[in-house]
Amino acid sequence: MARALSLYVEADTFVQKLDPMVKLLYILVAILIPFVILPFRWVGAAFIVLSCLALLYARVFARVVPLLGFSFLILISIVIIQGLFMPGNKTPAINILGLTFYKEGLLYALTLCIRVLDVLLAFALLVLTTRPSDLIQSLVKRGLSPRFGYVLSSALQVIPQMMSQVGSIMDAQRSRGLETEGNLWTRLKAFLPLIGPVVMSSLLETRERAMALEVRGFSASGKKTFLYERESSTLDRVLQWTLIVVLILSIAARFVLV
Amino acid sequence: MNKKSMWSFSFSTPVLVLIPVAVGINYVGKLFAQLLKLPLWLDSIGTVIASMLSGPIVGAISGAINNIIYGLTMDPISFVYALTSVAIGLTVGIMAYRGRISNLWRAVVVGLVVALVAAVVSTPLNVIFWGGQTGNVWGDALYAYLIAHGVPVWLSSFLDELVVDLPDKVATVIIAFLIFVSLPKRLVQMYEGEEALEKLD
Repeated sequence: MARALSLYVEADTFVQKLDPMVKLLYILVAILIPFVILPFRWVGAAFIVLSCLALLYARVFARVVPLLGFSFLILISIVIIQGLFMPGNKTPAINILGLTFYKEGLLYALTLCIRVLDVLLAFALLVLTTRPSDLIQSLVKRGLSPRFGYVLSSALQVIPQMMSQVGSIMDAQRSRGLETEGNLWTRLKAFLPLIGPVVMSSLLETRERAMALEVRGFSASGKKTFLYERESSTLDRVLQWTLIVVLILSIAARFVLV
Repeated sequence: MNKKSMWSFSFSTPVLVLIPVAVGINYVGKLFAQLLKLPLWLDSIGTVIASMLSGPIVGAISGAINNIIYGLTMDPISFVYALTSVAIGLTVGIMAYRGRISNLWRAVVVGLVVALVAAVVSTPLNVIFWGGQTGNVWGDALYAYLIAHGVPVWLSSFLDELVVDLPDKVATVIIAFLIFVSLPKRLVQMYEGEEALEKLD
């Protein structure tokens, strides 16, 4: 059985129980305010701290580190490249191994790091504490077409199925003498015989799946109902309005400050 | 044969079922590229096939859903690049509809156009997020060389992205084309807007 495709971590705190729409609203606020409305470093840093606190409270902070892995490498290279070469560099800050890092470049790199961390942590809060199926259901409740809700949840099921075929196709083609190691051209040539069978079989399956759906009334008109009903809690509404008020206040602050 | 309009927003059930599979093909392509240690991503083959089969709108939706699912399950930064995937789906869909992908050489040309479009859309995102870098070693080395020699950030960033995208997108479109031409005819017709399945009753 293929592993379910999700980053969701099972835990029992209020963050997990929150309406996914509130977390989506938080992402919107955490991006709009530090990027567009109040573009200062400390604003971004404040949102980073806020996201970290929520992640800590939800007991998923340890899972953030592997998510940051790839971005972390780029951030290090940003500090090096901008610190050394940024066009506006004037004031030397530090000297390491004969290379001069400039203050302007390092500050710009700091701004970028704060922005990236801000976005990453806000999204991490959503993906680590929300079951994808819950997110899709609440989107459908807020007006997303149920047909598209099906497309999203079906993708979460189809992808692990297709991924599980990868190993057996690799073995099957190797046993027929396909070279999968060696120089670049050899490996490139092996790509088509490997991906071909997965694509063919999964596209042929779509025909059957479409028929199976039709037989079960997928295109039927009429109101769709939900298997699980979820009432929105007082906390959901309080946080939702808090976020909206914060957004309005920050726009007001923008006009006062600038 | 009267084809459906390129911009139709009415989706038959087979087309809706195609979208998750397109996303799955993207995942599998990426996985095989990693297993074979290829210096390419090859993570948009499914989006390109969906565009060839069902036009720009379905291609764009496949691209967007690909990045949403990838963001939810692998790397949250991928949400941001949904725009690039949408642009790839639209470009291939329009060119395929106009009959621009009829042989291998034309597929190469489409690959070049797709690479150009992808780089144009990705560059502002790269500049906002990464100060213009892409995270690819070769591209970033070029970027560092260019800004150290006084080339403007936007141009350096565009070239950084283009160097990475050109081989990747050309290879992607070629592979998608080779798969597309070997698909059984009845399967292709199912996605061209002929709603045979819905007329069963």
